[in-house]
Amino acid sequence: MSPMILGALAALVLILLLFSGMPVAFALGMTAVIFLILEDGIGSLDVVAETLFASLDEFALLSIPMFLVMGSAIASSRAGSDLYEALDRWLYKVPGGLLISNIGACGLFAALTGSSPATCAAIGKMGIPEMRKRGYPASLATGAIAAGGTLGILIPPSITMIVYGIATETSIGRLFAAGVMPGLMLVTLFIAWSIYKAKASGLDFNQPGKHFTFKQKIEILPKVLPFLAIIILVLGALYGGVATPSEASGVGALICILLVMIIYKVWQPAKLWDIFSSATRESVMLMMIIGMAGLFSYMMSSLYITQGIAEYIAAQDLSPWVLMLYINVFLLVSGFFLPPVAVILMTSPTLVPIILNAGFDPIWFGVMLTLNMEIGLITPPVGLNLYVIKGIVPDVELKTVLQGAFPFMICMLIAIALLIIFPQIALWLPEVLMGPV
Amino acid sequence: MNLFIRLVEIFSKLLGYIAAFFLMLGVLVVCHMVFTRFVLNAPTSWQTEFVTYILLASTFLGAPWVLLTRGHVNVELLPLMLKARSRFVLCIFAYSSSALLCFILSFYSIEFWYEAWDAGWSSDTMWGPKLWKAYLAMPIGFFAISLQYLVELICLVTGRTPPFGITDTKPNQEIVEQVL
Repeated sequence: MSPMILGALAALVLILLLFSGMPVAFALGMTAVIFLILEDGIGSLDVVAETLFASLDEFALLSIPMFLVMGSAIASSRAGSDLYEALDRWLYKVPGGLLISNIGACGLFAALTGSSPATCAAIGKMGIPEMRKRGYPASLATGAIAAGGTLGILIPPSITMIVYGIATETSIGRLFAAGVMPGLMLVTLFIAWSIYKAKASGLDFNQPGKHFTFKQKIEILPKVLPFLAIIILVLGALYGGVATPSEASGVGALICILLVMIIYKVWQPAKLWDIFSSATRESVMLMMIIGMAGLFSYMMSSLYITQGIAEYIAAQDLSPWVLMLYINVFLLVSGFFLPPVAVILMTSPTLVPIILNAGFDPIWFGVMLTLNMEIGLITPPVGLNLYVIKGIVPDVELKTVLQGAFPFMICMLIAIALLIIFPQIALWLPEVLMGPV
Repeated sequence: MNLFIRLVEIFSKLLGYIAAFFLMLGVLVVCHMVFTRFVLNAPTSWQTEFVTYILLASTFLGAPWVLLTRGHVNVELLPLMLKARSRFVLCIFAYSSSALLCFILSFYSIEFWYEAWDAGWSSDTMWGPKLWKAYLAMPIGFFAISLQYLVELICLVTGRTPPFGITDTKPNQEIVEQVL
């Protein structure tokens, strides 16, 4: 059978298994096993255990559970609310300050935890009721938080970037740096849209009766600054070339746990167990997908499917921009149904050779891929953030949340377009920090 | 039957505790490594390899517990769209295919582990641990997930748990209905 037909069949089987409701990890593994047997007989399964082990036997992967522990420690405390409170106390006089506080807090908290749903939950719990109390439309309040939460996978440290870096052998440090400017750009776009929308609905930005003394403003800082300092230290160690991502994240995880214990008095064994058990759940789930995806891409390349698709696309002689358009549509559609990590692992071994061949930069592509995945987080049917928001404000109809999130999705599409036109938005910072490739 | 279900669940939970403990141990060992290397300026020998293996073990051992607590992410679109009866049939298919895969993997990982044990393979680093220790978590983990899936199937068929754990009041369902 030709590699292309085989590839199409493998894709079909994978989609069927995924839609049957099997866990993503096992659907990947099952497809790999089926096609290995079909092509090379049962004997080809002799290598599955070794392949599975080898795809996880990688020191760099360690940074994933470590960052998850870090995020889980912070998410278990009141750090999210305090972050929001701090921004609110400092920015309440700025026109549109409440929106800036909310989206800014989302961006910062997302950077701290690297988790979109955790960000929506932590900031949304405080922010959405406050915005609604001030007369902001429910759609805007919920949409802003849903979108703000997606920043978690773009602003470093980001789990999806680590996975992409390992899958494509791209520098994780560079990827992290490349996410910063596009992240700030998105924050700006989100804030700009929210302020415009709030103005258009005739909101008065003055917050009468609200006042914070200078003392109150200073008081809250010791609760939030240490966490921001850790992130800066962890990333600083990475860019200084002092430590690998795994080392930096491991130390960051321990310090975050200690901080949570000291600042928020979380020291009871039961609470510490909560931190580790929720990190373990996430970590096992992700690592299982990574391992099974390793098996899947082993099958794809040992049956020459990966190479076949790359050759086929190269032979089409598409213009790079048409190619990029197809790839974006493909990623967007995959992101509607699958979690970011699964999309990255399934597609990047095939896509990256193609985009390298077309003359695109793999770091830049990683950022674009991530932006596409962010859209999937706020679009149905699996938009995780939408469920979280719905859970926080049960009285708001889902339709309203969707309507609110839609313009933010447009902001993300604009960001993708800007990134395609000006690749330097992503590539400038890594070059400044780490020198040219 | 209830006893069997209880026992398997306790076993999965126990492995979950071990997995979380291994993760905690991993954090501490990474910190120890950083401390040795950057503060004491001493070379590190075993830490890199040890944490990699301990987190691999955490992944495989934790998997049955994650299944028990429905933590393995899946695409719920079709299950939510279907009527109860077809959802039930689909769920039997999804559970049994997953069980089959885990069973196949436990078989091949036992073989792989045995080979390493029998031939006394050790890692080719300075530390050079025996590899069967590192591989051991894989057969245990996959065997336990197979058992856990068997329990899930039993609970499904006997009506102890609804298909895919979906009770009809889940917000996801509302999303699907509004979109389609």
